[in-house]
Amino acid sequence: MGIKELLNLSDEEVKKPMPKPTKWTQPFWDAAKQHQLVLKQCRDCGNIDHPPYLYCTNCLSENMEWIAASGKGKLYAYAINYYMVPFPFWDDMPYVVAMIDLPEGVRMISNIVECDHKELKNGMDLEVVFHEVSPEFTLPKWRPAKK
Amino acid sequence: MSKGEFAIIGIGEAPCGQFPERSEFEIAYTVAKLAVKDAGIEMKDVGAVLCAQHIMGEEYNTEAVFGRIPEAIGARNCKITCLTSSGGASSFSIRKTAEGILYSGETDTVLVIHAQRFSQFTMNQMAKYFAIAGSDLEWEVPYGMTYNSLAAMITQAYMTITGTTIEQVAAVAVACRKWACLQPNAMFNKKEINVEKVLSSRMVAYPLTSLMCNVLADGGSAYVMTTAEKARKVCRRPAYILSDASDYSHRGITRSKVKDFETMTRFLAPIAKIALERAGLELKNMDIFELYGSYPVVHLVLMDALGITEPGKSGALVAAGETGPGGKCPCTTNGEALSFGHTGSGVGFGLFVESVRQLQGKAGKAQVPNARFIIENTGGGAFMDCHFTVLGNEIP
Repeated sequence: MGIKELLNLSDEEVKKPMPKPTKWTQPFWDAAKQHQLVLKQCRDCGNIDHPPYLYCTNCLSENMEWIAASGKGKLYAYAINYYMVPFPFWDDMPYVVAMIDLPEGVRMISNIVECDHKELKNGMDLEVVFHEVSPEFTLPKWRPAKK
Repeated sequence: MSKGEFAIIGIGEAPCGQFPERSEFEIAYTVAKLAVKDAGIEMKDVGAVLCAQHIMGEEYNTEAVFGRIPEAIGARNCKITCLTSSGGASSFSIRKTAEGILYSGETDTVLVIHAQRFSQFTMNQMAKYFAIAGSDLEWEVPYGMTYNSLAAMITQAYMTITGTTIEQVAAVAVACRKWACLQPNAMFNKKEINVEKVLSSRMVAYPLTSLMCNVLADGGSAYVMTTAEKARKVCRRPAYILSDASDYSHRGITRSKVKDFETMTRFLAPIAKIALERAGLELKNMDIFELYGSYPVVHLVLMDALGITEPGKSGALVAAGETGPGGKCPCTTNGEALSFGHTGSGVGFGLFVESVRQLQGKAGKAQVPNARFIIENTGGGAFMDCHFTVLGNEIP
């Protein structure tokens, strides 16, 4: 039995929180929906920011463009949630949240999926995978890289 | 600010725990009365009343913003009141506000109050609040990120990189519980715990078990602050504020100055160094380290940053019992969020009030003999900003 039935919760109480895109982040989510991972790069200094900002966090320029990411990453650190998570994530436990280092020089927080938790190891190679979590949103997640 | 211009002359503290029947207004009234009595003054002498934000408590905060608290505690000659908040760093920013008021000369007696009642909320309300507080709504929350997960990830990275064992991480919780057992107002002061018990408690966010996570609780504290000049006249043993140093990183731990625990140590170390320099003291002069960690790993990172031992080796020092009662470097003598109880922005207030208690020689069973100088820190956000303060019962 899921947490909804167990505690007699409303649909609203178990509804997963979705991103609330802003003008300057919408292209990221549009691309994710097309199963593409994109990053925002500054045209002036070359710095890449993730999460994307309205301005470049390195030089404060607003002259930025979206670039395609390689879709590769390395696991920096992880946690496995076993208890005390918000109700919408209760039935997913245990699940992995992790910091993923991208070769583009940014770090992302996401989930590691399609992976036996015993296989998790800091520094392991990962590849991006896209999860359609609602009709509107697709979340980039990560799994062990296929050799 | 020059050294030792201000001092604390009295403190008050309420028992920490689950007390749904005790309203936040009652806590505020009680701790205010205790602090004024402890300072040897009367409520009519108080010229300013500063309140800390009640986390999630809209009613109390609105009342405080609308100026009710001085009336609720009977401070009839109060001239200035306000609500101040910077999350976990509130105890620092509210004290800076108090300093400004004392500088202005409008009054020479400021009463600072913190009150929190988490027990009015359901577990899910709190889980939701702390999943979102400090986590990014767009980039982290949709992935089921929680505050515990963030601490767990930092712990996992810290252990991998430094070779610290989970037993050593657990030892922080053991040491905090030992201190809490000496504190009459601590939430968990009945029974000591050991490493085995910590590790066998329920897994929350691997590698953290429940006894390595803090527990939200009701509580409150207050203190009376005045100028050093006045303090010397009215108080036998004031606790002087000798120096402060601060820095701010940006919000996400995944970006900016604090990218991970390695940069965290590099971020924190200079702040502590500057605070000590400003006080004209060295690390070896510190009798107590009041560390605001909330999670064991942050204690270790703060110890690394202070340079108490070789970076990455703090876990071994804790496991050897050196940070606990009777140890060579007493840390976090009230048991902190892990064992005293996590009272929202009150964790920093609790450590500050404990520092004063130690310096005034009023810490009872937890008293560190002849404590003269203490370094204390607070931080807000998701391990985002940091403030170190040096206090002493004399001005060096």
